[in-house]
Amino acid sequence: MTGALAPVGPLGAPVVAQVTAIEASLFVFVVLTALFTALARDVLAAVIIFGAYSLGMAALYTFYRAPDVAMTEAAISAGVTTVLLLLTLAKTTRADHEAAFESVNLPAAGAAGLLFGGLLLTMGDIPAVGSEDAPIWSNPDVSQWYIAQTYAETGVENAVMAVLAAFRGFDTFGEAVVVFAAGIAALIVLHREVFA
Amino acid sequence: MNGSAPDSGADPDDGADPDDGADPDDGADPDSSGGFGRDRPARSDGRLDSDRRQGTPYTESQVIMPTVKIVAPFAFTYGLFVTFHGGGSPGGGFQGGAIVAAVVFMIAFAFGIEATREWLANTVVVALAVGGTLVFAGIGLVPVALGGAFLQYELLPIPDPVKYGMEGVEILGIGTIVAGVLMGLFFVLANGFSDAGGFADADAFDDEVGDGPETDEARDDGSIDGTDPDDGTAPTDGDAPGPAATDGGRAADDAATDGGRAGDDAATDGGRAADDAATDGGER
Repeated sequence: MTGALAPVGPLGAPVVAQVTAIEASLFVFVVLTALFTALARDVLAAVIIFGAYSLGMAALYTFYRAPDVAMTEAAISAGVTTVLLLLTLAKTTRADHEAAFESVNLPAAGAAGLLFGGLLLTMGDIPAVGSEDAPIWSNPDVSQWYIAQTYAETGVENAVMAVLAAFRGFDTFGEAVVVFAAGIAALIVLHREVFA
Repeated sequence: MNGSAPDSGADPDDGADPDDGADPDDGADPDSSGGFGRDRPARSDGRLDSDRRQGTPYTESQVIMPTVKIVAPFAFTYGLFVTFHGGGSPGGGFQGGAIVAAVVFMIAFAFGIEATREWLANTVVVALAVGGTLVFAGIGLVPVALGGAFLQYELLPIPDPVKYGMEGVEILGIGTIVAGVLMGLFFVLANGFSDAGGFADADAFDDEVGDGPETDEARDDGSIDGTDPDDGTAPTDGDAPGPAATDGGRAADDAATDGGRAGDDAATDGGRAADDAATDGGER
């Protein structure tokens, strides 16, 4: 597991500032599906395109060697969220639309474009993907420490799980309670006493 | 907004029409289920129509059911693998619990949400969610009782305490919470909003607590025999004599339209429920 995290390409060369064809097509797919999710006028279409977007993001996370995040994205976002949204849609009234797409609000689009351009300007200072000099990788006190010490300290090989369940276990306990509270909140909002 | 299906579109006062309530198979009609809500007229009182149209849309598909039958065991095993093997490979309780819950979603989409709801009792869902939270808190509190800090795994009285303490938290804590809550969200969303099921109505509350998980479905699906035109709004609706009859009728309907599925679990259940429904109908 830790070996797969090393920032080198398949041939041992550092993967710096090269965009492969798979990566590029995933980018295009994700951006297009995000746009169509926002622009689709029909809610059902938007939900389905959003599921496709999440699947694209999951593939992208896998590509960037974050399989734990990719699994979460695929299972929760592409799977469960889509199903819950479809279920909600099936229980409500769905309007018929003449047009396939929303009309774009030009001032809003301009503001979003400005924000996008501003964020794009910061891209030059972000370390290249896989760069060994990236602070998040080279930091000896955080990333390198966890990679070096996780197995000795916890006995598990998956550093992500070790961080979640051991080093940051109290945070995870809070998150688990939040998930539990979300279920209770759904019962209260829907005026139900039982789940099933 | 106006329905494409003429029968429902021509019915302005949806809530007061007993015939409408007498059609439990609303979702199975290809014309209406294909529209995903397009055919449903807006309520005249401005409420969301979820409390009126509680019947969950379900269309039996000869493609989906065999596919799910084949895929579900593998997906379930994969979910367990991801949960149990989180220490050595990508994954963990959160991802694995979500996959396990997704298997239940799959089964519900293939064989009907109501049938799945009966198969997977409320007790299971609640036990998963509550039990997981208690296990996580318990594993955290045992070291506190032994004089340490919260979640200080070294103090757990088991061999290799850090590793197995973490695995316990991931598998029995997070995995079960996520699986239980996601299943619960699915079923409670499928049920929709309840007018009479809230704390405001003492009768409905007593009925729900007294009669168990199936009771609130009596309000949900409309009454089979159409004798209750006020479905969903009358507070006394909660103690309608046949919650099982309502559901059974649904299941029986499903089973009847699906003769080729003999020997299948759902068909068996439907047959049994059909008997119940017939008995209940006779009593009335």
